[in-house]
Amino acid sequence: MKRRELFKLAAAAALTSATANAAEKKKSKESKSSFNFALLPKNGKGKRVVIIGGGWAGLSVAKRLKEYSPNSDVVLIEQRAHFVSCPISNLWLVDAVDLEFLTHSYLDAARNNGYTFFQAAAYNIDRKNKVVLTTNGDVKYDYLVVATGIDYDYSQWTKGDIELEYELRTNYPPGFMTHSEHQVIKEKLEDFEEGNFILTVPGGNYRCLPAPYERACVIADYFKKNKIKGKVILLDENPDITIKKKGFHSAFNELYKDYIQYVPSAKIEKFDLKNKKVETEIGDVYEFADAAFYPRVRGSKLLEIAGIAKDGINKKEANIDPFTYQVKDDPNIFCCGDVRPMAFSKSGNTANSEGYVVARIIANLIEGKKPTWKSPHTTCYSAVSTDPIRAISVDADYKWDKTNKVFTFANVKLNEKWQGKMGLHTGKGLLEWAKGMYRDMFD
Amino acid sequence: MDRRGFLKVIGGGLSVAIAPSLITQTLRAEDGRLYKTYNKVALVDSKGKAIKASSLQKETNYIFAYPFLGTPVLLVDLGEPTQKDVKLKDEKGQEYIFKGGVGKNNSIVAVSAICQHNLTHPTKDESFFSYVKRGQKSMAAKNGGVFLCAAHMSVYDPKAGGKVVSGPAPQPLANIILEIDKDDNLYAVGVLGSDKFHDYFKAFKREFKKSFGSWRKAKEEVQEKTTVSLLKEYSKDIIVY
Ligand SMILES: Cc1cc2nc3c(=O)[nH]c(=O)nc-3n(C[C@H](O)[C@H](O)[C@H](O)COP(=O)(O)OP(=O)(O)OC[C@H]3O[C@@H](n4cnc5c(N)ncnc54)[C@H](O)[C@@H]3O)c2cc1C
Ligand code: FES
Repeated sequence: MKRRELFKLAAAAALTSATANAAEKKKSKESKSSFNFALLPKNGKGKRVVIIGGGWAGLSVAKRLKEYSPNSDVVLIEQRAHFVSCPISNLWLVDAVDLEFLTHSYLDAARNNGYTFFQAAAYNIDRKNKVVLTTNGDVKYDYLVVATGIDYDYSQWTKGDIELEYELRTNYPPGFMTHSEHQVIKEKLEDFEEGNFILTVPGGNYRCLPAPYERACVIADYFKKNKIKGKVILLDENPDITIKKKGFHSAFNELYKDYIQYVPSAKIEKFDLKNKKVETEIGDVYEFADAAFYPRVRGSKLLEIAGIAKDGINKKEANIDPFTYQVKDDPNIFCCGDVRPMAFSKSGNTANSEGYVVARIIANLIEGKKPTWKSPHTTCYSAVSTDPIRAISVDADYKWDKTNKVFTFANVKLNEKWQGKMGLHTGKGLLEWAKGMYRDMFD
Repeated sequence: MDRRGFLKVIGGGLSVAIAPSLITQTLRAEDGRLYKTYNKVALVDSKGKAIKASSLQKETNYIFAYPFLGTPVLLVDLGEPTQKDVKLKDEKGQEYIFKGGVGKNNSIVAVSAICQHNLTHPTKDESFFSYVKRGQKSMAAKNGGVFLCAAHMSVYDPKAGGKVVSGPAPQPLANIILEIDKDDNLYAVGVLGSDKFHDYFKAFKREFKKSFGSWRKAKEEVQEKTTVSLLKEYSKDIIVY
């Protein structure tokens, strides 16, 4: 190329970029926001469906959408680099399964199912322009699914004392959200010498009803087997065990009489972390050598930031139509999984089955059909001992109670016999349940 | 089958085109929709002797590999006749017909023992998937007489071509079509309904490496004969709760 031509080209390039800039500025003035879009390929020619949150609900929605509506362009936004399962993590605390069992790859999920995985944290939603704002660039959507799970709500304990909240979060993590928390609890057990280990069961509709009781069992089992002079004190804000009552009570009594002290209706009022003591509402004081304090839960922060949250049984959960999962004043946004305000059991299985329901609703809308409601399904196993694993389980649907305008359990099947062959079979079932669910999300 | 139905079979992707004439001649158990033939193989015992249809113990789980070395099938003589001409639908809405069980009593059925939900299937260590006898209570089915996958409680009706009774399974079990010759010998000839073989081979690659030495081996089609065992001898633990 001649030198003169080169100059011409350069000048032309400068000109285009100048006009482009001007156009962009003008546009951004009009919409009052300037986007910096992430460059994403299209995996379908149709509508773009963006899902925020690659947990049990989000992974299920993404996979089913590509199945029910193959033309849609599905993007899953998740902040974490890989998936570490909360279910079965109680068994991991005491080495009954390894980390590989819990860990799965988001890339596998995306490549096996034909959608786009985009690792980023969403920090807001521009609902007017239908754009998700993320730490790695902005993403336009036609339909949006928010499946970002829970956050902890420490307010009842800390009454705004941020120092206390962060000391609890850091030194006594609940172990109901991230694997870092589970890791800390595991280290606590490995380092445990003697004394009380406090666990709490919060009020409200907390994540995984049976998990605190299951955790009490496996920790007691660990103390017992390793001849540690330790005792689990389980302070339950509720008047009794909230699920699989018979099974857990009998395990506490028959297996862990000297290792678990179950205290119902015990709400912590005061923390004295320096002297390792807590005091309950009625003035009982419990000393502890170590602890994992599980506070109430609320909807994840993003809902509040995006203006789609509402206070109910828990604070700041999704403000949605309970049958269509659509945000009340924004029908292009759907919320499912543990962010839902309905009093379904906050479990992985429920979230997974809800993923099918919501994917079907969106696929129907895309095809111009009416949304159809179907009950999510809860199948939930809990271990009461390890080596061999013995477990109990519950299986249930939900139905709408018209008079009281709430959902209640329906078709409940309980299996609370951890003793004998039944308990051993259910223990094996617990692992097979999880393997099946991981296949459902990642294969 | 009319021409349109025939094209649907080809378009379905799961099935191959088979000349309608062939179907009516050799197969009684289906009408050609969602049906795929594989090698015709004889069902034999561990010594290689042909299995007689009338020798099957009633309501007992037998297992054999078909149509591939790595795909398990459960064979059961229900002791009572199945329903006839049951209209079934797979998860994509494709319809097909289960004609009924075989044997003198129309009571013998065989199903692909890969759960249509998340692919749980019998292994040598344990079987979460089995036929549960009539009268045997379980959490998922009060009265038994069903195929049960205990992983997430999918229950299928063996008398209705593996139709889903309850649980998360999205479609009926795939049926293995059986033939009985004049000497009462049993053969497997094809698969009716939607199967999950593709997903199954993908999901268990690593496991097949262990159990078959290689993944490809598990995917080989069974030739000539397949050995039938009692499930309780094949699997260390049959899991029902
Ligand atoms: C110890 C324990 C044991 C349990 N045991 C069982 C059990 O045995 N059976 C069972 O069914 N359930 C169990 N559960 C419950 C189950 O884990 C939850 O109910 C389930 O994870 C809820 O799914 P979800 O998709 O709503 O939320 P999550 O699985 O929490 O997924 C939310 C995802 O969103 C991501 N995210 C959040 N905000 C953003 C953002 N702004 N941008 C990008 N990404 C974001 C998070 O990183 C996360 O990956 C257990 C839970 C715990 C903690
Ligand atoms: S794999 Fe059989 S019910 Fe889920």
